[in-house]
Amino acid sequence: MSDTSDVWRGTLAIMVLKTLEVMGALHGYGIARRIEQTSGDLLSINYGTLYPALLKLEQEGFVACEWGHSENNRKAKYYKLTRAGRKRLEKEEREWEQTISILARFLLPEEKLS
Amino acid sequence: MMVRQIRSWVLRLAGLFNNERRDRELAEELEAHLQMHIDDNLRSGMTREEARRDAHIKLGSVDGTKEKVRDQRGFPFILNLIRNFRHSLRMMRRSPAFTAVAVITLALGIGATTAIFSVVYATLFESLPYPKAEQLVMVWSQSSQGRRPVSSGDYLEWKRRSRSFQHLEAWGGATFNVATADRPEQVQAALMTSDFFRMTGMPMWLGRDFLPEEGEVGKDRVVIMTHRLWSQHFGADQGIIGRQIRMNGESYTVIGVTPPGMRDRQHSQLMLPLAFKPEQVSHQARSFLVMGRLKDGVSLEQANAEMQTIARQLAEEFPQTNANWAASVEPLQNNFIPEKTIKNLWLLLGAVGFLLLIACVNIANLLLARATTRHREVAIRAALGATRAELFAQFLIESLVLAALGGALGVFLGRVIIDGILAILPLQMLPSEADVRISIPVLLVTLLATTFAGLLFGCAPAWQSSRLGLNEVLKQGGRTGSGGEGGGLRRALVVVEFALALTLLAGGGLALRSFWNLTSLDLGVNTRNVLTFSLPIPQSRFKETERISPYYRQLLERVESVPGVEVATVTTGLPLRGTGLRRPFRISGMPPADPGGQQSAGFQMVTPGYFETFGIRLIKGRTFTEHDTADGARVAMINETLANQYFSGTDPLTQRIVVNQPIPGAAQGGTEVECQIVGVFHNTRGGDGLRGSDSPVIYVPFWQSPWPRASIAVRSAGDPELITRNLAAAVNSVDPDTPLAGVRTMDQMLSETLSFDRFGTVLYGSFAVLALLLAAIGIYGVMAFGVAQRTQEFGIRMALGAGGGEILRLVLREGVSLAVLGLLFGLGGAYLVGRAMQSNLYGVSALDLPAFIVVGVVLLATALVACYFPARRASRVDPMVALRAE
Repeated sequence: MSDTSDVWRGTLAIMVLKTLEVMGALHGYGIARRIEQTSGDLLSINYGTLYPALLKLEQEGFVACEWGHSENNRKAKYYKLTRAGRKRLEKEEREWEQTISILARFLLPEEKLS
Repeated sequence: MMVRQIRSWVLRLAGLFNNERRDRELAEELEAHLQMHIDDNLRSGMTREEARRDAHIKLGSVDGTKEKVRDQRGFPFILNLIRNFRHSLRMMRRSPAFTAVAVITLALGIGATTAIFSVVYATLFESLPYPKAEQLVMVWSQSSQGRRPVSSGDYLEWKRRSRSFQHLEAWGGATFNVATADRPEQVQAALMTSDFFRMTGMPMWLGRDFLPEEGEVGKDRVVIMTHRLWSQHFGADQGIIGRQIRMNGESYTVIGVTPPGMRDRQHSQLMLPLAFKPEQVSHQARSFLVMGRLKDGVSLEQANAEMQTIARQLAEEFPQTNANWAASVEPLQNNFIPEKTIKNLWLLLGAVGFLLLIACVNIANLLLARATTRHREVAIRAALGATRAELFAQFLIESLVLAALGGALGVFLGRVIIDGILAILPLQMLPSEADVRISIPVLLVTLLATTFAGLLFGCAPAWQSSRLGLNEVLKQGGRTGSGGEGGGLRRALVVVEFALALTLLAGGGLALRSFWNLTSLDLGVNTRNVLTFSLPIPQSRFKETERISPYYRQLLERVESVPGVEVATVTTGLPLRGTGLRRPFRISGMPPADPGGQQSAGFQMVTPGYFETFGIRLIKGRTFTEHDTADGARVAMINETLANQYFSGTDPLTQRIVVNQPIPGAAQGGTEVECQIVGVFHNTRGGDGLRGSDSPVIYVPFWQSPWPRASIAVRSAGDPELITRNLAAAVNSVDPDTPLAGVRTMDQMLSETLSFDRFGTVLYGSFAVLALLLAAIGIYGVMAFGVAQRTQEFGIRMALGAGGGEILRLVLREGVSLAVLGLLFGLGGAYLVGRAMQSNLYGVSALDLPAFIVVGVVLLATALVACYFPARRASRVDPMVALRAE
């Protein structure tokens, strides 16, 4: 996964938002692990990608964060979805479905569509 | 989405500050991340060491991440800018000599540009300092020969009939003898219809403006004075309003003082109401200027159309005086600036633009040379990951910082130059409304010029450095090459610089030669130790002609008895100023040379001392004597031109001439008087800044043809200005009411006559000298740098047997060939400059080879000197040292 690819950066944001929707408040390490697991370990997340993306989402107001304690009683920064983030995610999902259905008409064999 | 974007930017801007706390938090967050990962790894059965290793490998570089988060936190662009800016300042501190040369060079260019632009802006572009100035118009009478002032009759009819104007006001000139504290003073005045100041909307500094009824005959004994007159001759007395002052022997009440500034720059320093006496109203004498303010919503075209109709009506009603006369309405803005002045202003701006260009080329050259020594720095930065854009930006920012410094210093210099320009600016060259100063628009243009200059000279080194071959530079190790491609660019810039410099130098050379031609003209007079003044005697003074001669005889006697006076004369005209009168004449017994037209000549009445006072040479015959009085036979003298034109075959001394002489006190007409020609004198120069051609002139004895208003000139043994006081006392002992007006030595008069030419010469000359200086710095910089870089090459050459002399010649040849190439290109520019300046030049053609050769030689010599020092350094290279050094 290329750091600089805008496509991946964009999709990473969606993955983060979806993860937070499903899991509730979560720290950076948790988000990274969850995304890796969900992807069936096809994706490997490193700091260089994750933390700038989280900061950007925070600046845009889609996630909020506060300091808390992990299950092992470690001090960690917890991220959670805001209302704007929820809306954004819904919008992204709608657009994604639309994109997929359009692309499917081009990419899938015709007989399967019927 | 917009809102989110803005919110994000605001947060990021805030992110530029308070970074310490954020950095600490980020470090904690990443640390927590790492620990959780290690905890998980331990749980899955790794050893502590393995767990740590795996977590670190998996998560990559902590510092890299911090860097990326920081970028996201603030604006990397701005951070870079700040970093580059700091870097630039550091670079400047490290090479103060380079920085000083670059900043001063640029400051000279920017300063000169700012100063000249402020003159152009104030004169041509700045709106007039009146409320709703666009409504102000001049209304002129128009004949087939162009626009003319307006007669009082026409003005009154225009005002009565027109509907386009809120105001239509007229003014004319007059001279008053004003009794001031120490002695009577002659002051120019403007007589203006009473609503003039209300029309322009100019407020008073003190007191009030004219009341409408003060424009009526009998109520017009009030006066407004300028701030200048008030402070110079009335001690800036706040209580002057309401005081009586004596002017031309009558009493006037001071009612106002105009604000300092615009009015002070005009000739007329007094303003009085203009009241038309019924018997003075005529359609004949066109001597008034008319200004109007258009009504709201009335366009210039509508006003023009209306005035055309009125002019046609007047032409029908007064066919004798108004047939074929039209009228025109013109905007006030720039109405009084002659085409020639406008053209000259643009020429000056062009010249100064060239200077700025030379300065830019120079700095580009210096920067290029220095950039070469920084190749390794650039290569290392590139190797550490700086992109080409980043390198480009860094160099550009360095130039912009340099430009900003130069610009700031340039504005300061500009102020100094403006003061210098105003000190030598001929009076009345610019309209009085033009307030030359560094205004906001001027500053904006300076800012623009500075930025433009910075980009211009910054691009070359930025471009060059950003495309350096990284590997070659690093591979070269410490070895400096022999110039490389940057050297080519630098040499091209030197050629450009010399071409520009030659163009400017040619302009300076032409101006100088023209000025030289003017000053070395044979004026026909000796201007040393001659003082002249006129006596503004009121029109009403001499009702009887018989009283004129005794008055002036008495005056002349007193003046000649003043210690130090060698000889004095009474005359109606002055050399350099012209004869004053022009009269028809014919030669007795000969038909007019041109039967259709009337031949006329300059006409002047002089007393016998005239020729000795001015040192005018007699060619033939005799000058006037004390015997040529009203009782003696009528005589005349003619100048060389008249003698050559009309008496080529005969001896003029045997001829008689019939001159139509004016009648004292009468505005028109004259009497024909036949005179014996008794002498021929050498031509004297006068009029049009000494450019006037020699035209025929006739002198007659003042005692035979007395005239009420005359000037007096004295030749003294020493400096004539020292006896001015005694002369005034002598005059006042005869006539206590009359002041000495226009007191000038002939040398001062000559200097005033040449003031326009001197102004141009000084400016073009200074530009040329500056251009020369900059070109010298430019070629020196390039050659010195080239030599320093090629030390090794010279060492090898010498080791192989080349002598010091050969190396010297090699370097000189290189430098001079660049200069010559530049000169060749510059010749074209020089020719164009000559063409553009042609109308200002006297006795110089656009392609003036001697001037061009001289400036070419001067430039070449400068190039030689500038190259000599680096060349000598090259010739003294010790081969062993040079080879070992690398």
